[in-house]
Amino acid sequence: MIRFVDTTKIYSNGVVGVKNVTLNIEKGEFVFVIGPSGSGKSTFLKLIMHEEAPTEGEVYVNGYSIHNMPRSEVPYLRRSLGVVFQDFRLLPNKTAYENVAFAMQIVEALPREIRRQVPLALGLVGLSKKARAYPGQLSGGEQQRVVLARALVNNPAVLIADEPTGNLDPKTSMEIMELLDEINQRGTTVIVATHEKNIVDSMKKRVITLDKGELVSDVKKGLYTDED
Amino acid sequence: MKIRTLRLLAKEGAANVYKNKLMSAASMVTITTTLFILGLVLLIIVNVITKLEAQKRNLQVRFYLRVEATRLEQEEVAIFIENCRATGVVTAYEYESREQAYENAKKDLKHESLMEGLTPENFAEGYFVTLANPNDSDQFIAKLKLLSGVDTQWITYPKQELERISAIVGVFNYVAVFVLAVLMIISVLLISNTIRLTVFARRKEIEIMKYVGANDWFIRFPFIIEGMIIGLLGALLSFLLTSQAYVWIKNGLTALFSSIKITDLQLMEFDQFAIRILVVNIIFGMTIGVIGSFMSVKKHLDV
Ligand SMILES: Nc1ncnc2c1ncn2[C@@H]1O[C@H](COP(=O)(O)OP(=O)(O)OP(=O)(O)O)[C@@H](O)[C@H]1O
Ligand SMILES: [Mg+2]
Repeated sequence: MIRFVDTTKIYSNGVVGVKNVTLNIEKGEFVFVIGPSGSGKSTFLKLIMHEEAPTEGEVYVNGYSIHNMPRSEVPYLRRSLGVVFQDFRLLPNKTAYENVAFAMQIVEALPREIRRQVPLALGLVGLSKKARAYPGQLSGGEQQRVVLARALVNNPAVLIADEPTGNLDPKTSMEIMELLDEINQRGTTVIVATHEKNIVDSMKKRVITLDKGELVSDVKKGLYTDED
Repeated sequence: MKIRTLRLLAKEGAANVYKNKLMSAASMVTITTTLFILGLVLLIIVNVITKLEAQKRNLQVRFYLRVEATRLEQEEVAIFIENCRATGVVTAYEYESREQAYENAKKDLKHESLMEGLTPENFAEGYFVTLANPNDSDQFIAKLKLLSGVDTQWITYPKQELERISAIVGVFNYVAVFVLAVLMIISVLLISNTIRLTVFARRKEIEIMKYVGANDWFIRFPFIIEGMIIGLLGALLSFLLTSQAYVWIKNGLTALFSSIKITDLQLMEFDQFAIRILVVNIIFGMTIGVIGSFMSVKKHLDV
């Protein structure tokens, strides 16, 4: 599903993003990526979605090879992924419904399909009642739910989330994580970069730890503090 | 891309014109201003060129028959000229008989003594011919010279004047093209600057669209529609302004000239080129809008 083969990302200013990372993530897995600030968690996810290209090594995602990927192929890679960010990134002048529908319009889904799937996705994240609200009218947790609905409406094989709860209070964070778990139960591979010790510890999922760009531990059913 | 997607994106672009009212208005004013200037410059040039062309058409070929031409030869010339008029080569001609020539000469020459001993028989018949197309003059004169009744030494045509006018018309045509090109470039720069601002304000949006997997055309198309609509609106507004300004200038000039007793210097009626100006405005306005959008979206697409 996702495979890093001796992957290194060095930014143009010489700073190391990730260094010699080799690992496999299988279909249906739920993976936490943890590590101190600046350890390369975001870089790791950016490589998966081709926001950054690897300097050396290769990354395979859903059958796409990321190194030297032609520009025209990038949209197709991203459509096979659902992405969630700490700062939500919803289109500000579209309603919750329209934001979710947008992801389907991109793949030229039939209007009939859009009308069927969007309410389902909004229902799944518990936001049916706010379909007509604009992002500015929604709380952080609600916005992140819309982002989740958008990320999963096309049934992506992989969902990646970069600190999805970074801007949310503990209770809302837990709810979002439970949603991610639910999405994972339905077969989607989920990869989450996070700082939230409590959540990681309570969920007992695979935990990948990065430090200074290097993979320092990779534990099934791990805890945040495993490597201490 | 599917038709239904294009329709969707077109709607999106149209909605954005309204949603980003301020930027739309700014872009529209830019387009309107340049098209307005362009329109007035073009109208002035068209007026000058039309006047010059009219002047060209007033130039006449003048020729005389030989004094000793026979009746047959006279008739041959008359028939030739009539034929030329029938086929449209000649738009009009004046005929001067020997008697008229004699009378005219008497009027022109102040001193009676110079006319002494001359009778109408000493004068030649003349033709003053206006050609439909002044550029046909060489060919026309060559044909005249084949007629035995024509006095080949006295065929005159103000060729120098014609050439000078043609040269001036040519220069004005170049000037027109040059002005057009310069204004076009200026307006594309201005408009892409304005649109760059709107795109910059919306670069986050573009980024998000890319993250979700939109391809370049999906992002670009609404902006292009937006540019097209703004261009069209700018063109229509500029057309209104141009027509008002032109009529205003025309009336002003007419009043000015008539106050100093010049009556034949009139600008042409606006109606004569209303359609052309409208079409030029729309084509230029939309082109400028589309090119502007295209250029300014381009650099934000690499994410
Ligand atoms: N675009 C960039 N250009 C240059 N250096 C960068 C860039 N993005 C990240 N870095 C650097 O790469 C290193 C890894 O950054 P990254 O964002 O992957 O860390 P992170 O683990 O996500 O940190 P955080 O927990 O603070 O989000 C850091 O030293 C960072 O300064
Ligand atoms: Mg990060």
